[in-house]
Amino acid sequence: MSQSSSRGLADVAGASAFIGLLIAGAAMALTLNGYYVFVLANVALFALVGVGMNVLIGLSGQMSFGHVGFYAIGAYVVAIMTKAGISFWLAWPLGAVLAGLVGALLALPALRVKGPYLAMITIAFGFIVEHSIVEMRSLTGGQNGVMGIVAPQLGRLASGERAVTLLALAAVGVAFWAYVLLSRGAWGAGLRAVRDSETASESIGLNPLAVKTVAFAASAVCAGAAGGLFAPLSGFVTPHTFGFAQSILFVLVVMIGGAGSAWGPLIGAVVVGLLPELLSSLEDFRLLFFGVLLLVVLWAAPTGVAGLIGALGRRVRALFAPSPTPTLTASEPADGGPVLSKRPRQPIFADALSISFGGVHAVSNLSFAAQPGQVTSLIGPNGAGKTTALNMLSGFYTPSSGGFRLGERALGGAPAMAVARAGLARTYQTSQLFGSLSVLENVTLAMGRGRLGPLLGSARLRAPKAQARALALLAWCGYAGDVRAPAADLAHVDRRLVEIARALALDPDALLLDEPAAGLSSDDKRQLAALLRRIADAGLALVLVEHDMTLVMGVSDYVVVLDAGQRLAMGTPAEIQENPAVRQAYLGEQAAPAAPRQAAAPGERREMLGVNALVVGYGAEPVLHGVDVQVMRGEVVALLGANGAGKSTLMRTLAGLHRPVLAGGVTLDGQDVGGMGAEQIVALGMVLSPEGRQLFPELSVLDNIRLGAFLQPENRDSRVEEMLGRFPRLRERLHQRAGLLSGGEQQMVAIARALMSRPRILLLDEPSLGLAPKIVAELFAALDQLRRDGMTILLVDQMAGLALSLADRAYVIEGGRIVAHGDAESVARDGALAQAYLGAQHERA
Amino acid sequence: MAHSFSPITRRRLFAGVSALAFAVSAGAAFAADPIKIGLVTALSGQSALAGEAISRGMTIAIDEVNAKGGLLGGRMLELVRRDDEGNPAKGVTAARELIFREKVAVLFGGLDTPVSMAIVPMINAEKVPFMGPWAAGTGVTKNPGNPNFAFRVSAVDEIVNVGMLDYAQKTFKATKPGLILVNNPWGESNEAGLKAALAAKGMSAVGMEKFQDNDVDVVPQLTRLRAAGADVLFMVGNVGPSAQVVKSLDRMGWKVPIVSHWGPAGGRFTELAGPSGKDVHFVQTYSFFGKQSPVGERVIGALKAKYPNIKGVDDITPAVGVANAYDGLHLSALAIAAAGSTDGDAVRQGFYKIGKYEGLIKTYETPFKPGVHDAIQAGDYVWAQFIENRILPVGVTN
Amino acid sequence: MLLTALISGIGLGSMYGLMALGFYVTYAVSGTVNFAQGSSMMLGAVLTFAFARTLGWPMPVAILCALALCAVYGLLVEFIAVRPFASRGSDSWLMATVALGIVLDNLVMFTFGKEPRSLPSPLAQSSLEVGGVNLGVYPLQAVIPVIGLALAGALYLLSVRTRWGSAMLAVAQNRAAARLMGIPIKRSIALAYALSALFAGVAGVLIAPLANVHSDMGALFGLKAFAVAILGGLTSAWGVMIAGLIFGVAEALVTTSLGSGYTQIMTFSLVILALALRPNGLFGRAEVKKV
Repeated sequence: MSQSSSRGLADVAGASAFIGLLIAGAAMALTLNGYYVFVLANVALFALVGVGMNVLIGLSGQMSFGHVGFYAIGAYVVAIMTKAGISFWLAWPLGAVLAGLVGALLALPALRVKGPYLAMITIAFGFIVEHSIVEMRSLTGGQNGVMGIVAPQLGRLASGERAVTLLALAAVGVAFWAYVLLSRGAWGAGLRAVRDSETASESIGLNPLAVKTVAFAASAVCAGAAGGLFAPLSGFVTPHTFGFAQSILFVLVVMIGGAGSAWGPLIGAVVVGLLPELLSSLEDFRLLFFGVLLLVVLWAAPTGVAGLIGALGRRVRALFAPSPTPTLTASEPADGGPVLSKRPRQPIFADALSISFGGVHAVSNLSFAAQPGQVTSLIGPNGAGKTTALNMLSGFYTPSSGGFRLGERALGGAPAMAVARAGLARTYQTSQLFGSLSVLENVTLAMGRGRLGPLLGSARLRAPKAQARALALLAWCGYAGDVRAPAADLAHVDRRLVEIARALALDPDALLLDEPAAGLSSDDKRQLAALLRRIADAGLALVLVEHDMTLVMGVSDYVVVLDAGQRLAMGTPAEIQENPAVRQAYLGEQAAPAAPRQAAAPGERREMLGVNALVVGYGAEPVLHGVDVQVMRGEVVALLGANGAGKSTLMRTLAGLHRPVLAGGVTLDGQDVGGMGAEQIVALGMVLSPEGRQLFPELSVLDNIRLGAFLQPENRDSRVEEMLGRFPRLRERLHQRAGLLSGGEQQMVAIARALMSRPRILLLDEPSLGLAPKIVAELFAALDQLRRDGMTILLVDQMAGLALSLADRAYVIEGGRIVAHGDAESVARDGALAQAYLGAQHERA
Repeated sequence: MAHSFSPITRRRLFAGVSALAFAVSAGAAFAADPIKIGLVTALSGQSALAGEAISRGMTIAIDEVNAKGGLLGGRMLELVRRDDEGNPAKGVTAARELIFREKVAVLFGGLDTPVSMAIVPMINAEKVPFMGPWAAGTGVTKNPGNPNFAFRVSAVDEIVNVGMLDYAQKTFKATKPGLILVNNPWGESNEAGLKAALAAKGMSAVGMEKFQDNDVDVVPQLTRLRAAGADVLFMVGNVGPSAQVVKSLDRMGWKVPIVSHWGPAGGRFTELAGPSGKDVHFVQTYSFFGKQSPVGERVIGALKAKYPNIKGVDDITPAVGVANAYDGLHLSALAIAAAGSTDGDAVRQGFYKIGKYEGLIKTYETPFKPGVHDAIQAGDYVWAQFIENRILPVGVTN
Repeated sequence: MLLTALISGIGLGSMYGLMALGFYVTYAVSGTVNFAQGSSMMLGAVLTFAFARTLGWPMPVAILCALALCAVYGLLVEFIAVRPFASRGSDSWLMATVALGIVLDNLVMFTFGKEPRSLPSPLAQSSLEVGGVNLGVYPLQAVIPVIGLALAGALYLLSVRTRWGSAMLAVAQNRAAARLMGIPIKRSIALAYALSALFAGVAGVLIAPLANVHSDMGALFGLKAFAVAILGGLTSAWGVMIAGLIFGVAEALVTTSLGSGYTQIMTFSLVILALALRPNGLFGRAEVKKV
């Protein structure tokens, strides 16, 4: 509670500072001479536009270089109407509203596009407005514009520019207040949610297009209102006043001040409005200095002056008040009622769901039912189509044929937002929380199922009842941290829990979970398993995609196995574990290479690669908890483990793609490479052929292979020839685009490309991923040849049997820890491997 | 490499930097305080050269006044310039700054007509005399202000347009004029002026075409004018765009007389337009070429002495900017002297009290009267053309 | 007349295309662009003028030196206005490149002068005649598209035939994989900016004899080139070049039929329309939505 009161205090301080500023401004407007009043008015107009632009840039993450168009619309409406004898007091709001309408209209094409494309549409809009004004001469006065616009009277208080300045200040006050309300309310949270993750916003039922359109229209209204004051302030409007440069200044107001901060545009307006005036005596050097100073300001405060001041303020406060601020934690509801309402919920029926991408059948004819109160798991090797199926079930992909129902309601082909509103919630493989919202806001925002309430209202977000329910939900899901913390700062496990709480906040009939256990520790996984069970027991239909077989087998009522987009098997966990087809798909036991194992060439057993108590992670939570691996010269070492165990993270860390190393080290021939970047490590001879091939899809096969020799271009072509000898299949594909090759051929290119870098040790990440068995055999024959040629290899592969048949030694990794290691045969016999792949309940036959 | 950092600019830089530090300067007026003369014009961008020319004309005249001991008992004149970037909004802000903060006695300004038009209502309200050395828009001096504080020593579109028509009829026996106008405020104001001038003679244009000031190809517009049967072209545009019109005519192989506003005089027209540039006849208020009056000789000498990169009269471009500003400044000085103070309304009436003044453009006889705020009248215009890179009155060949 | 418009439009359009290629190169490699690309173009024209006319160097030498300096300026843009921001994940490079453009424009204004100048070319003296019919264009205008397309072709060859060329393509297509090949990303981005400014400089040199040379000449041109780059889709070099031709011809046709006052209204409306129908540009590939 004490934090909320201190926050309240800060609010009061901020509000009084702002009101004080406004009063000071008004006093200046009434007393200063005509120049300073004019400058003050200009600053106020910049601030007014800036506050609006802040909704667009700061809250919704859009960009516009065309807001001068709205400014011009507001200005010309006032100019033309007051000249026609219509009252300013009618014309001004009309101009702002018209600007807002045009803004909403422009949003239609503009918000379908992103980034530079959006910037271009807005630039084009600005130009069209400017030039249309020139051409609509009978209405607008053409190039010479409208002169002699009379400023409104404010009774006996002020007239002329003083009156306009007072109005501008008042407008800034209203806009600022509205911004604060908006930004704290449900719409503000909705805007940030759409900016942080448009995908996730759809899956809590928000309509991103509508939300962004509102932002566009709101910013247009502000620009129009400012334009409507500009006209009487200057007494004229001409098209040239509303050029592209003015739009740049508008963006500058927000960028310099700090996007997303309420005070940002006010600071930015002061800088952008005053700087040219301070420089005016530089005469023709003014623009030069303006440019230079602009660069300096941007360098000093790349995220805006408000951000800089805020950071400084925090540092100062930390200096004087080192005690941590009290936190607010989630708690069970006081009334002890159920967190999830007791009501009958609907099952999901998938009916022959199919989808293909570019001719490849990612999922074909998938049918299953997920009953309420049950956990239905969707498992299968990597690339089997599980996430694709989930994306169809949540409305992100439109099935090419087939469909699905929630109870009686057919939802196939419905957009994600509609699916979510119908009662089908989901989480994501990499959790997609709204990073800039607090934990609590993430959950309360979802409770509206896409409804945000009135534009400036905050009831849906902050009503005590809603907050109490959200707190209860968070506690129920096992989240024990600070609910006011920004979601972006959460530890990995907390992200998972909050994301589940957010999905449950929709009060859905069914919940789809995409690899919720990935990257969790075994303790966390147990907690998660219990939570999943509780959710199912509360009556929801749960669909779980997960690689951790212990978890799957322990928690599921029913398991559907996918392989290469097809349903391979379906049944209870016990049935699945005994299914030979499943074992084949997972362990690849029958697909050992034809070539008989040969002992590795005896040589000096010197260490090539040493991994020592390595700890790395994403954000705060480590993924690898002190991993030790050793690879000797000339040795093939396999690294085995389920998905999410940390294999790829280890490989990426070794190659230098993942940094920083939190603890421990990596040595190559005794040299510490833990701090080096990928470019340097390649030069030292440790080369990664990454998971998923990662070819350059638009380049030819030849160019891909050649690029491998980037650092060692000497006698490149003869080495390419050598690669073609190794992978004869590639010769006829040499001039095709690599992206068009089959998976197996792509993998061969990837390995050839890696070999061109003249590795001393080759890191192979999942070479057999998604390949047909015949191709796999061919590929492993080639790898076996490499082994016999004396190449040192560290191999990660899902197909444990295959990998072991190639390897001298193996490590088994689970939950970021090495759980077993030894020579290949003993690891193959060891139960740890099967457990890591197929779960604890599995007992080897 | 036409400009280098002269001591003056360095001092200006220093002044600017100190102004940054002491943004607000204030001080009571002492007798020896300088009399500030303001100038708001484009100092950057496309029109920067013309702004520079105005600055030079004013500076030479100010130096002359100061050399004679200044005004009002020894107060020196001081030029304070502001860049308006050709943008009326910036111009108005700058004008306000000069009036309220610098307290200028007379405000010169507005290269572009819209900037001047935007400033004029304010100077009338604040009672500060305004002198226009360039913008030719009719409404600048013929404004609803009462009393009217706007004066001008420059061309007036309305008068120039009548002159252009007269000249085309007299010189080229033209009956079917075509209009080719730059698409900016200046072009638009001339469109009105030319149409009015034609209407007054019961004529009309066979065609009217606009072009953009950054167009590199005006052939489509000109082709339409040729198809309409134009036998003379009235051209309005700054030097660069005008050159593009001439080059496009060249490419089309259309030889047609061109009667132009003074745009081509604003730079190296023949370099830009190629050899056909010499066929363009344009209006001038003054030419530094040919036989000069003693005043002319004196001004040329002073310009060469003051600005090292002025080596000959062909470096004085645009000449009209220098000449108008020079005479405008002297006339303003006379008005201040006649007023006996820098009070705005007194100076305004001081303008009416100016008797005979032997200026650069002409010898002025009571140039301003209530209702007559333009010192240049129909008879004062000179028709000129480029011979090589020299602007010579039509008919004069050296 | 239609033919004249077409030739003239294709000529201008290929210049837009060349400059748009500059946007494409940096965007592909780094996801950033020099928003003040017009200033680089102006620099090419102004430097060529300064070397050839003011210092009297032979034209080929002047052009080569000017282009080399343009490339250096490109490096400077990347170093001053892009890297400090992009490396911190800030979008302020947008504003910083604009600011640097303002600085360059004004520096040129003070050194080169405020007067527009003309750079003569033997190809822009008298108009092109074919079979006694005056086409109403300079030979240069007919040559420009050839040079433009040749340069685009040269870029293509460079990118597939040279080590650094394919390295940059690699960075554009898959940054992580490029690092695994040992390709230095920072240097590739710097190189892309040098190339980008170089293309703009070439456009400046080619356009100089047609337009007037002054510090302000690039502003609108750069913006139109950005429109072209977006229209083409920013992900396809040939798409960008073709979009340039489309834009140039559209401009010429609108000017010929409706008058130049409507040119920008119509062409920019077309850009909005095109993006509304194809949100990734005319030739850009739609990305599969990643969930």
